[in-house]
Amino acid sequence: MESRVVNKGQISELLDKLAKDYNLFAPVKDETMTLFRRVSGAQDVLLDYNNSDISPKGCFLPQNEKTFSYMYTGDSLEINKPEGAQKTVLFGARPCDIKAVLTFDPVFEGVKFGDEYYSSKRENSIIIGLSCTKVLSTCFCYAMGGGPCDITGSDLLLTEIGDKYYVEVITEKGQALVDAYSQIFAKQDTAQLAKDKDELAKKLSGEFVRKVDLTGVKELMDNNFELPYWSGDDQKKCISCGICTYVCPTCHCFDIFDYTTGDFTGDRIRCWDSCMYPEYTLEAGGHNPRPTRKERIRNRFMHKIKYHLDRYNMVGCVGCGRCVIKCPVNIDITKIINDLKEVAQNA
Amino acid sequence: MMNLAQQLQEQAKKLLEEKKVDLVIGFGQGTELARNTPVFIDSPEGVSALTWGPFCANNLAKYLSDYNNAPGGTAVVVKGCDARSVNRLLDDNQILREKVVVIGVPCPGQLEWQKVSAEIKPGSTLKEVVDNGDSYTVKTDSGDYSFSKKDYLLHRCLVCENPNPVISDITIGKELPVKNYEERFAEVQDLEKLAVNEKSAYWDKQFTRCLRCYACRNVCSVCTCEVCVFDQMMPMWVSKRTNLSENTAFHITRAFHVAGRCVDCGECDRVCPMDIPLRKLNVKIHKDLGDLFNSPTPGTEPGLISPLGGFSPGDPEEFM
Amino acid sequence: MFKRLLEYVGFEPGRFKARWISGSEGAKFTTTVKEMTETIKSLGPNKKMRDDII
Repeated sequence: MESRVVNKGQISELLDKLAKDYNLFAPVKDETMTLFRRVSGAQDVLLDYNNSDISPKGCFLPQNEKTFSYMYTGDSLEINKPEGAQKTVLFGARPCDIKAVLTFDPVFEGVKFGDEYYSSKRENSIIIGLSCTKVLSTCFCYAMGGGPCDITGSDLLLTEIGDKYYVEVITEKGQALVDAYSQIFAKQDTAQLAKDKDELAKKLSGEFVRKVDLTGVKELMDNNFELPYWSGDDQKKCISCGICTYVCPTCHCFDIFDYTTGDFTGDRIRCWDSCMYPEYTLEAGGHNPRPTRKERIRNRFMHKIKYHLDRYNMVGCVGCGRCVIKCPVNIDITKIINDLKEVAQNA
Repeated sequence: MMNLAQQLQEQAKKLLEEKKVDLVIGFGQGTELARNTPVFIDSPEGVSALTWGPFCANNLAKYLSDYNNAPGGTAVVVKGCDARSVNRLLDDNQILREKVVVIGVPCPGQLEWQKVSAEIKPGSTLKEVVDNGDSYTVKTDSGDYSFSKKDYLLHRCLVCENPNPVISDITIGKELPVKNYEERFAEVQDLEKLAVNEKSAYWDKQFTRCLRCYACRNVCSVCTCEVCVFDQMMPMWVSKRTNLSENTAFHITRAFHVAGRCVDCGECDRVCPMDIPLRKLNVKIHKDLGDLFNSPTPGTEPGLISPLGGFSPGDPEEFM
Repeated sequence: MFKRLLEYVGFEPGRFKARWISGSEGAKFTTTVKEMTETIKSLGPNKKMRDDII
């Protein structure tokens, strides 16, 4: 498809317009944090950031979501579902986080189990990506099939080049959007900008310091569920908090429960859950198939590097590095992958 | 002369060789230059993994209760603040004195790894760290970097009460001078001075961010309940919804549940992925404990009875 | 301690009160409840930790 140009000076105008016409989610500064929030205009938006503290996955899978409310009056049960999603634009998300949304799609839009809450949000949203300008020491998207300027999953991808944004139109949704705001998305000769973008991508791809290589790891996992490796230090130092799963852009486990007031009315709510919690797979009868930290840690990492591949032929990690940064005890997925690779080579 | 890490390794080796302990919990190099990570060493050959420096923020006393039922003893490397946890765990009967060997290391302050990391060329390798009193020099293969303690230390270290471990079987390194920080409660006092609605607005802003990952609770060395009220579904005291109301309930309950036992190791504050200033809640309680009961920070001495866990006819009794 | 903590996070002073009243202190009970009712009335509805805040 085509490409366009937005002058930096016009970004505010664009954001203001988008906020008026859509639910606009964009990165904002909240004290020391960079978070994706719904914004009312350009004034709150922060585009000069490296990696948000929390991924924008909440746009599609909110931490709390009312699936329906119910009211039982003695002889009848009334159920009210919330309306479908409103038109939404997710602006300024990084390529790794956008790739992560693609890992959700087969889970929630699978042939067997469709999830209307998710689909409704997904169908009604446009994703405007923003290429990275810097590689952090914790980044490893390149090893997971992505890249700092990767277009995968975006409807539009903006790349900052000098005083302009080079805009790649990737999908029809994206095309419709640039056409609707054609005064801002200028039609110009973009050959030089395209070259500059390639240069930037090349420069950034040389800046990764974490060496991660998935080759052979899945094969090892396929044949070795029980590995002494999982009884090592990681499960000893893990404190069973939910940080890694909550900051992870691909973690999507949820729990469903009823929040009831005394008069038989209430809401059925779905909220994020974490496989790091001891009660995660606790069964009603008291049995837990993952009784200790060892099984829980194994589950999380096997999900990323095996189960998601088995089911959907996609790696369940995009290399954003958030869990590496935020883990209080420095459990590091890149180290685990490298250690497993070593185990595989020595086997 | 051996550096502190080498001395640590030697002591750990001796303990394991002489079978005084089965396990040594200490710090090892993490996956970032400016980060150390807990290591669990069960053989004399493994001790070379032990290290020491200004990137040892974790409170390893947290792990002692995991090994309480292990057949052998456990040795743990502690800083001054972590040593308060050991005292507190002993007083709470969570660990047995005869099964624990405390390796104390006087600590001149721990650096905030992310701040340090941001300044150092990615991919560098650490050579050594030199303590210059007011600053640290971090020597790497990409050059030397200087970090002033004032700007780069963890917040909690700037008002450290116990640089020297308050309980220790083996002490590594020289005792450090103890300072009395009058500004210890300054931040709390600033908040106390605000009007009701300003206080409310301040905390609402903080609590709204909470993800309820429970890292603050799980990292806490004195949070030792087998089943926590926040994990219970029947009855559901606090629901799993993250909203301001439930988050506020969680944070007030958490802070108050450790009142009189919180040793101010500051781990909750350090680990919060949303930068909620949790220490400001704990330190408020410490301030009140001091004001009302003249009580020192819990864990400062062994056998210290918590004013909230004991009875004294001289209690201020604000509720009579 | 708890009262101080509640006020620190922004509950109005007087919103929370703890009193020790023995079973034989009927008069103290009535005055306490009366006082408390008046305080609460003057403070108006509680705004913190409302269930309607999602």
